[in-house]
Amino acid sequence: MIRQPVCSVEELPPGTMKLVPVGKFGVGVYNVDGSLFAIANYCAHEGAPLCAGFVGGTNEFAPDIPGRLRHVREGTILRCPWHQWEYDITTGQNVADPHKRVRTYQVDVTDGEVYLTA
Amino acid sequence: MSPVIDANVQPHFRYNAEIRRYLPPAYKLRAIPDVEQQWYQAPGGDYRQDLYGDHYPGSDPETLCRHLFDEHGAHYAILNPLTRGNIADYLLNSRICAAVNDWLLDQWIDADATGRLRGTIRVNPEDPKGAVAEIERLAAHPKLVQVGIPLQSREPYGKPMFEPIWEAAAAHDLPVAVHINGGNGVDYPPTFAGHAHTYPGYAAFMPLNSFVHLATLIIEGVFGRLPALRFVFADGGYDILTPLMWRLDTFWVSMRDQTPWVDKYPSEYLRDHVRFCSSAFDGPTNRDVAQRWLDFTDKADLLMYGSGYPHWSTSTPDAVVSGLSSAQRDKVLWRNASDLYGLALETEGSLR
Repeated sequence: MIRQPVCSVEELPPGTMKLVPVGKFGVGVYNVDGSLFAIANYCAHEGAPLCAGFVGGTNEFAPDIPGRLRHVREGTILRCPWHQWEYDITTGQNVADPHKRVRTYQVDVTDGEVYLTA
Repeated sequence: MSPVIDANVQPHFRYNAEIRRYLPPAYKLRAIPDVEQQWYQAPGGDYRQDLYGDHYPGSDPETLCRHLFDEHGAHYAILNPLTRGNIADYLLNSRICAAVNDWLLDQWIDADATGRLRGTIRVNPEDPKGAVAEIERLAAHPKLVQVGIPLQSREPYGKPMFEPIWEAAAAHDLPVAVHINGGNGVDYPPTFAGHAHTYPGYAAFMPLNSFVHLATLIIEGVFGRLPALRFVFADGGYDILTPLMWRLDTFWVSMRDQTPWVDKYPSEYLRDHVRFCSSAFDGPTNRDVAQRWLDFTDKADLLMYGSGYPHWSTSTPDAVVSGLSSAQRDKVLWRNASDLYGLALETEGSLR
């Protein structure tokens, strides 16, 4: 594990991602609503480049409203571009099956610079 | 010798018009299909050849009890009579179901001296209110142990218009048995792609329709909403269960957000909600692999012996469990049915 600089905080505003070419597949560093998270660019299903997927929310069961769907966790869910598996960026856990997970890494900010330990 | 429960038996009227004795006056003169008007005719007749006589096969309680209890060694038999297929006049069809139920009680269940026959409340899903009323009318009878519906349906059983029927069945803790229903009313193509040419095509593919009902019951959330609801698919089709559940499980991980009420893998609903009756056509032709094959998708916990008597393809307990381990045999021959229907059996070996 090596701690390395990624970019300045200004270059990673909320809702954006920097793909850091570390290791075999790279790691995506995400700013989710002001908090920073890092997740491997490798889907646990078939190894797709996960960080090329869209970031959005997911749906939960809402029995009391018409349509029975409520859109939640906006900005925290990453969908694999190949087969639409959903991952929580903040934990690396698959939404459908939390036993399936993608590795997450530590991110910190020192003197306005974002650092990834991976 | 292991105890045996036969979970799938079709008793018949003695003759076609006997049903009219049980129809209310307003319906007595209506045209209704013959029990044997089935286009796809099995080789040598739909029923065991030795049973054709003055009356319909499977219509004499004494003969039926002799065959099932003495020759097959069954301790209990679950009677699930056919009605007359789906009929355009769904109100008439509900009266036919009620007539079949009254006949079953009169001629079989209440007249049974052995204490070993159990019955089915036949209902017509095309008339949801009538079906619920029929369940409410008969659910308190201690020997009616399940609700019976046709496999043929113009919509899969996971659709919302059917749910009041499943709610009523679950409220009374009655499993819902799905069986191909004889007679030619309004019939639907037996395969997804249309009509089969002859009987082998019909018999091979028709039971597979059960998977469409099963998949919609899971995905549209019926099992999730009704924890006590159990379905029995009585025509087999369990040999394709594993690959089709693999498909559902695979799609669910990708598209869970469209149906988030499904909050576990679709295959995880099977144990609490689904059973199958054995069929002469399911399973490997090479019995050497039967044991391993049954373990896929834990089918040993889902399968119940059902003879299908008096059909031509009536299977014996020995034939159904051929090649299985002794633990699998026990589950298939009696344990699963004993648990589902609450039929107490003495511990193994002390029964006879």
